[in-house]
Amino acid sequence: MITAKHKEKALRIERSLAKCEARDYEIRIEAAMLAATHWVNGAYHALGVSAENNDILHTYMLTVNEYRRYAAANEHLIGKLAEIEDVRPLYVRGDVAGGEAIADRAVALLNDIRAIALGV
Amino acid sequence: MNIAGHVDKIRRLEDLRKRLNPDADFELWFWSTMTAGTNAVNAALHHAGITPEERAFPSQPGVYSVPAGPNAADFKSVLKTSGDVLHVGRPPIPGPIPDDIAEMMKAMEQIEHFRDPCTRGDMTIDAKVISTCGQAYEKCVGLLERRLSEKKQ
Repeated sequence: MITAKHKEKALRIERSLAKCEARDYEIRIEAAMLAATHWVNGAYHALGVSAENNDILHTYMLTVNEYRRYAAANEHLIGKLAEIEDVRPLYVRGDVAGGEAIADRAVALLNDIRAIALGV
Repeated sequence: MNIAGHVDKIRRLEDLRKRLNPDADFELWFWSTMTAGTNAVNAALHHAGITPEERAFPSQPGVYSVPAGPNAADFKSVLKTSGDVLHVGRPPIPGPIPDDIAEMMKAMEQIEHFRDPCTRGDMTIDAKVISTCGQAYEKCVGLLERRLSEKKQ
């Protein structure tokens, strides 16, 4: 998808995320993951690292070679997205306590990713 | 996860669904719907004794985070042949599957059909998409409720 569409979609998800409350921590984490993935894809397209028809779905689905390539272009974009993804098993699919604080961290990572993407 | 944990997530996700606008907030409304529906399928599979009720949380098909100590940092990844599904079909559940759970899975497949095109891609979101997802979800959770109320373990 083209960078402008990724941005549009990320902003749309972020508007909905703003309607979520602390108790909605599973979807706050998922929203951070979804919006961040759009920002990351848009940024890597803009940097010429990936083609517009080659979006990252999840970082853990990339080959090691691909991951290293993205990291070489900008390690923060891919690294922060991976950090959001890594909390999903325990807090979105699991019942580990402390989901509210983890969701806050995921949203903070999304904020970092957005700032980087807008600077590309 | 255990059945009570799945049911708690379904209730809380349903509460959020009601606060979101299915059109303006489609992506998160959809994701709440899909996540709640997947919890329903997992709860039904536990209830039928097909997958284990346990604190093992999937990270990818066949790989689960399990507690190895009292804290979140103590969880470790292990390989397991059976457990909660991430999405219907990931991983596939070997048969035989009771008819009601097969119907739940079919309903979830209708929802999953829209996942990547509508949340990752730019497929047009219209009333038909919303209605298809909404009806499939109601069917899925309705079948879980019936199973939990009528069929004792």
